[in-house]
This record gives sequence, C-alpha cells and structure tokens, in this order.
Amino acid sequence: MTSYALVAPARFTLDSFARITGLHPDVVRRLVALGLIEATIAPGGRMWFTPDQVAAVARISRLRSGLSLNYAAIGVVTDLLDRIAQLEAALRARPRRTGGISWI
Amino acid sequence: MAPPRDFYDVLGVSRTAGQDEIQKAYRKLARTYHPDVNKDPGAEERFKEVSEAYDVLSDPETRKKYDAFGEDFRRVPDDIDPEMYARARAGAGAASGGFRGPGRGGVRYSTGGVGGGGPDIDFESIFGDMFGGRGGSRGWGGPIPGADVEAEIELGVEEAYTGGRRSITITGPDGPRTLEVNIPAGVTDGQRIRLSGQGGRGSAGAGAGDLYLVVRLQPHPRFRVDGRDIYVDLKVAPWEAALGTSVPVDVPGGEAKVKVPPGSSSGRKLRLRGRGMPSPRGKPGDVFVVIRIMVPPSLTDEERRLFEQLAAASTFDPRGGPR
Repeated sequence: MTSYALVAPARFTLDSFARITGLHPDVVRRLVALGLIEATIAPGGRMWFTPDQVAAVARISRLRSGLSLNYAAIGVVTDLLDRIAQLEAALRARPRRTGGISWI
Repeated sequence: MAPPRDFYDVLGVSRTAGQDEIQKAYRKLARTYHPDVNKDPGAEERFKEVSEAYDVLSDPETRKKYDAFGEDFRRVPDDIDPEMYARARAGAGAASGGFRGPGRGGVRYSTGGVGGGGPDIDFESIFGDMFGGRGGSRGWGGPIPGADVEAEIELGVEEAYTGGRRSITITGPDGPRTLEVNIPAGVTDGQRIRLSGQGGRGSAGAGAGDLYLVVRLQPHPRFRVDGRDIYVDLKVAPWEAALGTSVPVDVPGGEAKVKVPPGSSSGRKLRLRGRGMPSPRGKPGDVFVVIRIMVPPSLTDEERRLFEQLAAASTFDPRGGPR
C-alpha cells in the first residue's frame, strides 16, 4: 500500500495574510471586496488566501504609492499588466527561427 | 554612488518651468518608469529619482530653497539668507581647505568675496547630518516588496548548446553590478532564467523582486535554430549529390559524419537525430543537414566536355515530373 505524507495546504488565513503583507485586516477585506485580490470564502465566512496573492498585494502597494492610483484605476492597470504578461509569454513561447532565412 | 543629478535635469524641464509643466513632466516620467510598468532593471532607480525631484520641485517652498541652496537645501535652516549662505560657504571652504563644492550644474556659488573671517552661520549645525534620508513608502506605510524586473541576455548558438557560467552586468540602485549566472545547457530563444531576489529592491526591509533574464540567441552564420532543432547547410558538387558521398560537418558539440545518399537534390534534409539542442527534460532536438548543390562558376574544357556528354546521354527532365 502506498502511503502519502500529510501536507498543509499552501494558504493563509485573513490574519496571517494581513501580517505577511503588513496591511490591516480591514484593508485586506476591502481589497477582496473591490476584486483586486482573490480570496476563497469558506461557508463559515472565513477567508483563505493563496501565496501568489502576497505578490499581488505588493504590486497594488507599489502602484498606489508610486503613481497615486485609486482602487478603480489599480484594477484596470493590474488587469492590463496581466494581459500584457500573458501576451508576452505567448510571444516568447512561439518557436522563433534565428540565423537568417533559409535560401530554399 | 553616482553624484546626485540636478532635479530640473531629472524631470527634463527648464529652471523657469511653471508648476503645470513640472507636474506634466513628472506624470509622464512616472508612468514610463514605474517598476511594474517598465521591466528594465534601471527603471526602478530612475523612478525614485523622478519622484524625489518632483517631491522637491512641486512644493513652491522647497523649490525656492533648492533654487537657492542646490543639493544642500535640506540641511539649510529656513531663516538663512541665500547670499549670506553663499559667502559663508565660500569662507568655510577656504578655511578648511577643500569643502565639498556644489558639484553639479545649475546652482553655483561665488567662491570669491569674504575670506575665512566673516561667517556668522554655525556650519556644524548646518552640515551636521540633520537629515536622515527619505522615509520608505508613502501612503500605506509599511514595507513593500520589490517588483520583478526583466533583462535580455544574448547567447551564441554554441553557448546555448553547452551552457555554463556567464557573468552579466546590470544596472541597479547602487550602480552597475555583476552577477554570475549559470546558463543551463540547451536554453532556447525566448526562455527565461530566473534569478530570485535580484530584482527591484523592496522598501523598508521588504524582500526584493526577481530578475528574469530573457534569452535571445544571436544569429549564427551557419546554424539556424528553430526551437530545439538546428539547421545547417551542406554544400555539395553535382556529382557528389548524384553519386552519394560521406562528408564531415561541423555541428554544435563536435563534428558529425554525414552520409549523403545517391540522388540527393538541393533542399533534401538529412536528420542527425538527437544532435540538436539538449533538453533539460525530455528529448533533445535534431540537426538537419540541408543539401545545397554548388556548380563550378567556370568550367575547364574537360569539365565542359564531360557535362556536354552527360547532357546528350541523359534523359532526366528536372521539370518533367508532377508539379
């Protein structure tokens, strides 16, 4: 019989997420309500956050402090940046020929 | 560290620019160099420079002080008269023999005038480091992790094939820095190499972002790379193509013996399985040797006679088959 190790799920509670990101839990709730970060809301109302949302909060903080964007503008900018990242990744993944054009 | 640049130069405006013009220049530069918008490793530093210049020049009071005192404006108390300051400064410079000069274009102080005797400004209190540097983030407060940055790295085909160490220099907040990068064997054009923690710096002790190196393969005079496959031309004489031959061909990773089968026309591809770009996981690519028939540009009498003889005897029609 194969046995499997127990692994804790890679997710944070609202409190630990707030501690990691250095934000007040109310600010985190507000970001979720505005759709700027993703959270899983359990039936009891508890919020869970995946580790990639830490980077999302960091980007929101940089955009807010660096460009004085409001929440609505941050939503637009992050959506556009994600789309650009996707397109650039697709462009990179496309096989590219180097070394000039074949003479044939 | 590089000497601080003139704030007007940083924003690209003249010293007489109005507040509107300064704000316009700042907004444009901030949009261009924000580290989340611009992935260039130098963008973050430029963004900070632009923000600092705007912080100072957007406030009429601090701008006035900056115009009067130059880069020392933050150390000068509010009630100092610029002219007296300039004289005092010149005096202190003469007395101590080599005080730090204004150091950059724009604001210059007269070094003539009163000698060492006259100043009644307490220089210790002015130049003592009262100013502890700017705080980290504005607005939310708290540490903000750094952004990820991207830089291109150009590799030759052979280098990408063998991999190995390579040192690269990128611009950073403290000037250019050199990193030793391990290039995995078989990187392909467009792949990214992640250097964790080498990206934009976080503020107030937060972690730095990552640096991604995007691989660009340099064009090679002989090898064409398509994904993991490598194409190389092989020039053969008409009789070699007709009768078949065996030729050594230089490919990345060494020489390969290629058997040209009899009756090979131009464009025929001979596959050397597994001799292309290695793959960190999975199968390596192939090398395709592409036959290219070369004809002597001028024929000797003997060659001409033999070709004429061949032309008369042969029934081969290269344009006769199905199109």
